[in-house]
Amino acid sequence: MRTDEIRAAVKQSIAAIANLDAGEIGDGASYREDLQLDSLTILEIAVDAEYKFQVNIPDEELSNIRTVDDTVRIVERYLSEPASAAA
Amino acid sequence: MRTRVVVTGIGVVTSVGAGREQFWESLLAGRCGVSLVESFDTAAFGVHRGAEVKNFDAGAYLRRIDASRIGRASQFAAAAARMALADAGVEPDSLDPLRAGVSMGTTSGEPLEVERFNDAYVSKELDGVGPEFMGRYPCHLISANVAEELGFAGVNVMIPTACAAGNYAVAHAFDVLRAGRADLMLAGGSDAFSRITYTGFARLGAVAPEICQPFDRNRKGMIPGEGAGVLVLEPLKRAAARGARIYAEVAGYGLSCDAHHMTAAHPEGDGAARAMTRALEESGMRPEDVSYVSAHGTGTPTNDRLETIAVKRLFREHAYRVPVSSVKSMLGHTMGAASAIEAAVCALAVHTDRIPPTINLEEPDPECDLDYVPNRAREHTVNVAMNNAYAFGGNNASLVLKKCEV
Amino acid sequence: MRRVVITGAGVVSSLGDTPAAMHAALCEGRSGIRPVKLFDTTGLGCPLGGEVSDFDAQKYLGRRNLRPLDRTSRLVASAAQLALDAGGWTTEMRASREVGLVLGTMFCSVRTIAEFDRRALEAGPGYASPMDFANTVINAAAGQAAIMHGLRGVNTTVSTGLTSGLQAVAHAAEQIRAGRADALLAGGAEELCFESFYGFERAGLLCRSGEHDRHHPVPFDARRNGLTLGEGAALLMLEDAASARERGARVLAEVRGAGGGYDCTRGRDEAKAVKAIAHSIHFALYDAEMLPYEVESMSASANGSPRGDSLEAHAVAQVFGDHARRMPVTAIKSMLGETLGASGALQTVDALETLRDCQLPGIPGLEDAEDDFPFAPPVAGGQGVDCVNVLVNSVGLDGHSCSLVVARCDE
Repeated sequence: MRTDEIRAAVKQSIAAIANLDAGEIGDGASYREDLQLDSLTILEIAVDAEYKFQVNIPDEELSNIRTVDDTVRIVERYLSEPASAAA
Repeated sequence: MRTRVVVTGIGVVTSVGAGREQFWESLLAGRCGVSLVESFDTAAFGVHRGAEVKNFDAGAYLRRIDASRIGRASQFAAAAARMALADAGVEPDSLDPLRAGVSMGTTSGEPLEVERFNDAYVSKELDGVGPEFMGRYPCHLISANVAEELGFAGVNVMIPTACAAGNYAVAHAFDVLRAGRADLMLAGGSDAFSRITYTGFARLGAVAPEICQPFDRNRKGMIPGEGAGVLVLEPLKRAAARGARIYAEVAGYGLSCDAHHMTAAHPEGDGAARAMTRALEESGMRPEDVSYVSAHGTGTPTNDRLETIAVKRLFREHAYRVPVSSVKSMLGHTMGAASAIEAAVCALAVHTDRIPPTINLEEPDPECDLDYVPNRAREHTVNVAMNNAYAFGGNNASLVLKKCEV
Repeated sequence: MRRVVITGAGVVSSLGDTPAAMHAALCEGRSGIRPVKLFDTTGLGCPLGGEVSDFDAQKYLGRRNLRPLDRTSRLVASAAQLALDAGGWTTEMRASREVGLVLGTMFCSVRTIAEFDRRALEAGPGYASPMDFANTVINAAAGQAAIMHGLRGVNTTVSTGLTSGLQAVAHAAEQIRAGRADALLAGGAEELCFESFYGFERAGLLCRSGEHDRHHPVPFDARRNGLTLGEGAALLMLEDAASARERGARVLAEVRGAGGGYDCTRGRDEAKAVKAIAHSIHFALYDAEMLPYEVESMSASANGSPRGDSLEAHAVAQVFGDHARRMPVTAIKSMLGETLGASGALQTVDALETLRDCQLPGIPGLEDAEDDFPFAPPVAGGQGVDCVNVLVNSVGLDGHSCSLVVARCDE
């Protein structure tokens, strides 16, 4: 899957969950500061992304996600490592 | 002269034992109830440990109700209620039923019943679900089952304020007795272990993989548990008249709401501090009067840090002199039962002048630098004990118990 | 002793989202019970429910993100907004003076709990929804409303089955009397959902359509054969009378007294069941410092249950004797359905409207009351009543009963 496809899908998750306009979400937007999202919403977005792409991201890595780019990169990494994909 | 309310009986069902004696002895010995989860398969989870109540036969305690007819949380509650009354030396039939009431708390009620429903649903066998779903599931059945078991026809209420529910239930019972609306109240909380609850906390990343280490530098989270705690509360006059053993007096309580976040506490411990402040105000006490604090102490990095901030906010310098321990280190997080069980701990601490430890405290956390009674129980004069509980939805509750001076 | 007054009310119901609209519909005999659209009722015996059609919480809550809230939470948050507005409690006021919330609900959201679990079963626990999990606790709706509206006072959830909503109002009144709070939103909420509908059907509690012409649950009717479920939320702003007066609030009515009863045989012993309901009424009257003959009208809990309605009727006869025949009675579950945790609160809101406009809803479809029906014959449409008080009754399925007296406030 291409990066821009992943990014579009992630932004769709954010838009749906956080009631934002996908077109207004910057690639490097930080969840807390720029998008003003609380921890539960951020986690929901992360789980939604995992579900969409059928990957399993360990909790420690999930908690390091700060920006939209972080999510895109980590999904990309787990998509390209078959051993890490959903069991 | 306001009616004074005292604790005269304690009944508990926990992963370290049932009944007041076994329970207290286990806690003082630092015994831990955490083990590998057995009630469902955790293979698909990243965590596998819980504090389940194992090998507990509620039927051994119930005389009226057939235990197999009621949900697990109800079984715990009704059994603990029987134990509490026996502990108080009260024969249920000796009471005027209209003046004997039940006030209980819970987080999830009977989630196992929803699981049964869903198991049928996903296997397309929903037809197999019968009247027992409504007959066992609604959470008000917990207090209803306790009342049915004992023949109590007084106040009957469930206050399902999640992980602070026990304190809320005791607080309500306290109010009822002070208003003269009952001669005796059973107050407490109950919750059953379930895959629903476990899944939720695991998905939040809140579950520790091995042990629950409240206030430890390397703490990794909470460990879901289950059980029930029930206290017998009576007006002091009645308790004294029948020569009852009095564990402690309920001095007061304080409630507040963070109105901040569904699953995380206010970052400055605002709600927690307000609840504690109110509890002390109502009890006519100052922070320096508190001898022991039973913490909410779940073992999550956030809770323990914020709770410490709140305690320091209220107690200031005295915070460093008052021991604060978390029995969740031993019992795991028993949800709606937790603060009821911890109220029992406070009553016993006041009564015996001994306080249970926070076990698994190996490495102190610079941000959590209070005296958490690490690893070993302690003798300590407990004139006043405070019980703190914080719940999802931002519900905070603090209860104050003290030695009863007649 | 502090007196408790009501200074605002908010409702979201199958018959409208203002107390006046709902009351007008009830007095005209219009029913909110219709074929359910929220979920598929095939095979569930009864296709009807008092659904809040086209419920759009955004209408009441503005552009906030409502994704974290499930239906029950949205119902509560919406009713809260309406009640706060009606009572004149602005955001600024709430920032400086604590307002709390006491919410009654039977399930909060069994649907959310079930869906959370089903998703985990089907996709694996790793894909369970954290947001849904936050709504699986029974105090979730109260917590969500508190966050949305900055309600930092006492926040309690009460769960006593059908009586939850009325019990919550009674609990809140008690807290204000005791000086623990000055202003509390109090009431109840329940959503219509497949899980509870299925459960009630399996328990044989829903009315069985097809046995007679009408599908509606007709309270007190000799041919009644069960209830229909409904949904909604109703919250009242309860305040200490002195504080309300001080801020120049408009007082709708006073909570004069409240009482409760419990039948530990859970209906198996009819005498004890009736006694518990009678006790609930007696207790409320005692609390209100009223004698039975001073009650001028009653909002019954009756919902079409063969047994439940009968027990309530017997209890009323026991308490009021001959006076019952002079006491106009209504049973609005005939048109709203059995809204469970919301019911007692919806009844209270409607009672306030009766005190305001002197109209009491009838019981549509009641043609053939049972032999020992103790009341004056109710009319199908509304009736004019010039009453200064209303007794609101709430009777549950598992032994709980609760009664509340609201009265015109003489200042």
